[in-house]
Amino acid sequence: MLVQDYMTKHPLMGRLTMSISEVQHYMADNDLRHLPVVGDGKRLLGLVTRQSLLVEPVRLRSLDVWEISRYLTTESIDVVMIPADDVITIKGDATIEDAARTMVRNRVGCLPVVEDGIVVGIITETDLLAQLAEIMACSADIPAVRATVQMPNRTGNLAKMVQAIAAQDWGILALGGAVNRDDPAVWDAVVKIDNVTKDAVREVLGEVEGHRVTDLREA
Amino acid sequence: MAQNRWVADDSHRVQTPILEAKNLAVSYEIRDGQVNAVRDVSFKIHRGETLGLVGESGCGKSTVAFSIVRFLGKNGRITGGSIRFQGQELQDLSEREVRSLRGDQMAMVYQDPFQSLNPCMRIGDQLCEVLQEHRGLSDREASVRAIQMLDAVYMPDSAAVMRRFPHQLSGGQQQRVVIAMALLNNPALLIMDEPTTALDVTVEAVVLDLVDELRRRLDTGVLYITHDLGVISRVADRIGVMYAGEMVEVASAVDTFIRPMHPYTEGLMRCVPKLGLSKESSSLYPIRGRVPAPTALPPGCVFEPRCDYARRRCREKHPELRSVEREHLVRCHRAEEIRETEWRPSDETILDLQERLRSRSEDGSKVLEVSDLRTYYDQESKGILSLFGLGEKRQVKAVDGVSFEVGAGTTLGVVGESGCGKSTLARTIIGLESSRDGKIDFLGFDATLPLSRRDKRLIKDLQMVFQNPDSTLNPSFPVGYQIARPLRRFGKVDRARIGDEVVRLLNRVKLDGSYYDRLPRQLSGGEKQRVGIARAFATNPRLVLCDEPVSSLDVSVQAAVLNLLMEIQQEHNSPLLLIAHDLSVVRFFSDAIMVMYLGKACEIGPAEAVYAPPYHPYTEALLSAVPTADPRVEQKRIRLSGSVPSALNPPTGCRFHTRCGRKVGTICETEEPPEIGFGDQHRIYCHLPLEELEAMDAVITA
Repeated sequence: MLVQDYMTKHPLMGRLTMSISEVQHYMADNDLRHLPVVGDGKRLLGLVTRQSLLVEPVRLRSLDVWEISRYLTTESIDVVMIPADDVITIKGDATIEDAARTMVRNRVGCLPVVEDGIVVGIITETDLLAQLAEIMACSADIPAVRATVQMPNRTGNLAKMVQAIAAQDWGILALGGAVNRDDPAVWDAVVKIDNVTKDAVREVLGEVEGHRVTDLREA
Repeated sequence: MAQNRWVADDSHRVQTPILEAKNLAVSYEIRDGQVNAVRDVSFKIHRGETLGLVGESGCGKSTVAFSIVRFLGKNGRITGGSIRFQGQELQDLSEREVRSLRGDQMAMVYQDPFQSLNPCMRIGDQLCEVLQEHRGLSDREASVRAIQMLDAVYMPDSAAVMRRFPHQLSGGQQQRVVIAMALLNNPALLIMDEPTTALDVTVEAVVLDLVDELRRRLDTGVLYITHDLGVISRVADRIGVMYAGEMVEVASAVDTFIRPMHPYTEGLMRCVPKLGLSKESSSLYPIRGRVPAPTALPPGCVFEPRCDYARRRCREKHPELRSVEREHLVRCHRAEEIRETEWRPSDETILDLQERLRSRSEDGSKVLEVSDLRTYYDQESKGILSLFGLGEKRQVKAVDGVSFEVGAGTTLGVVGESGCGKSTLARTIIGLESSRDGKIDFLGFDATLPLSRRDKRLIKDLQMVFQNPDSTLNPSFPVGYQIARPLRRFGKVDRARIGDEVVRLLNRVKLDGSYYDRLPRQLSGGEKQRVGIARAFATNPRLVLCDEPVSSLDVSVQAAVLNLLMEIQQEHNSPLLLIAHDLSVVRFFSDAIMVMYLGKACEIGPAEAVYAPPYHPYTEALLSAVPTADPRVEQKRIRLSGSVPSALNPPTGCRFHTRCGRKVGTICETEEPPEIGFGDQHRIYCHLPLEELEAMDAVITA
């Protein structure tokens, strides 16, 4: 689960010769929220986002309608792009959790994936969310039971749950977990099991010592 | 293959196709006006998808490719429609911008790898140049990247290859270098124009696997152009069929082959022999007529003059490319009405031919008996001693101890990779090369004699059809004269009746008398090959050698020429020796087959026995590599590494041991393999124990 496996390869890219209105059209036509701008050899020069495309109100006040249209058609992409030096990027061999953390910390929605200054892909919030859905086997389309189990935040507890499932010869479609928001001593595990009934899951997982099934649904 | 439980959903990604052509039209300016070479062509290529473009030559496939990269030449230009690459209109870009796209985001691989490589530069320098030019990498970084890329295309010993010159690599290796070079900048679009046409089947299989793997790993969109239906069925996700400059059908690969809806696509499928079928059990149905010139298109449907389903509407109104089923576009008024099962050949004689072939009887008499034939070429050593005649004499053992026989009225097919001695064998029998040793008994004549000492009757009775009709017809004499020449030379008919006889022969090969006075350059490739056949059969020969008679022809012409050869063979009851690299054609046409490797026979026997287990490991690999024009067919995946070793210094023991996947042990390296008989004249030369040979699975399962 590395960035290079989940990024969009061959992203759509802008060139310095594009005017602002061309960029607007290009992004709107292709439903893009982020557009890396590259020079020869796909070298990263900057990044245009929907936000960076917005004209600042300060600027607007000084422009009349004609000037806005002149601004949009004659000014080139470099006026609105974030220059490469300020763009947060990531390497292809970083993990997806690294990518997620980088995005959260820097409050950005996309990271151009860059190797030796060359754009090789782009990874966005959506890619990571899609991957979260994938980790939880959302596209599997197999009837399954999804259980949330609270267990002590100590080594060996997840293994106990998995053993209980394995003892029934059940298959795990997806498995995840995180520390409980309110109580750091508790760990919330989510497990998806196919080919079982809710009652059977409740019975088997509820019997594990120290575990409590807090949520059970068909998914 | 195990069924995956589910596949990842990619619907959140950008949906813009890598390449989208809409109503594309391309014209070339010529002296008297304009040729509309491509009209109204639309297609899309998504990321990680291969679109195959097929069609006969002259249908505009390459023009489409050239228009994408703006290589149309001075007189060509896009006259309508649009081409969007990554959502940008290519026609709006300046020459400079297109050039930088070509290097950075699009790459091309052409048919002949040798022409794409600079002969005077080392491979490493050529690869590094790309990286330094486009990416500004340092020498060291570039060479590290280049070696990685060569490894990615499975180049053996990539570091050493970097120091070599193109001529020091085999064709398959050269093509891999070209593909590596194309992929160095990680292009979004890869255009491949007949990239494997010049390669042997075994090498082709490796290159096709590679293209498929790289596409999946790098998410590259691929436009794959070929005339070969087998190849396209192996690589393409979707297929666009082009005819006379138009797209006539676009569908998924499976649909194209299983439920073709355009009569032209159907017709193409009927032209290629299915691997494993013989001429007794199936027929080839050539498409009548030929592709119209772009200057003389019919007013209605462009395919109407050749279509067996045509109605009045087809003559009057040009059909649009329309969606008939989901993801299945067809340009035909009657796509829903026509049913392939209701189709009857317009030429009933083909069915008669199949009937006649089935009912023929073999009298078992032998026409040609070759035993232990050896043909060596002397090669002077390049040392200084050779100047004084003292140098070590080396020999290329092109044919090295081959024995077989051909019975009256039957066909022996000879297959093997290039360099295995197939052609030398034919040339030795006909007398163009002299044999070193062995016997050739042809109807009691000794055919080991050089041509100059051969009996005139022997020459008359032994004729040949060559691969390339261009180089075997004299360009400065009319066709009639060239066919008449053997008639005059051998006095088969009275001088006064030669003219009539030539016309009869022309008719025999389905050309009318008006061809008598035409010059070869006024004929199409298929017509030239027909003349070549007429000339070979003019003297009523007792044996005809055919060296790749159809490999340079389009599929529909190929079907017609094969039918013609069968018909004439039937009529004269003359045996044929058919040399071809296309294993489906050989299987279809031949009664018996000999598989050759480095001058020796590996396996020989009746066609159905050779194409079914037990196999010689080499036959097994060849069958596994041959592209089949049917996506439902499952083939075992056996890939040979490397290329055929040099015949100057062939491996000891079994010559195939260096590449064999079933090598037994050192015995293969030291001892010549024994002959193992399987009854019914099926012989395999291999060290494998009998039980193992008999336990082999079939390579191809339908």
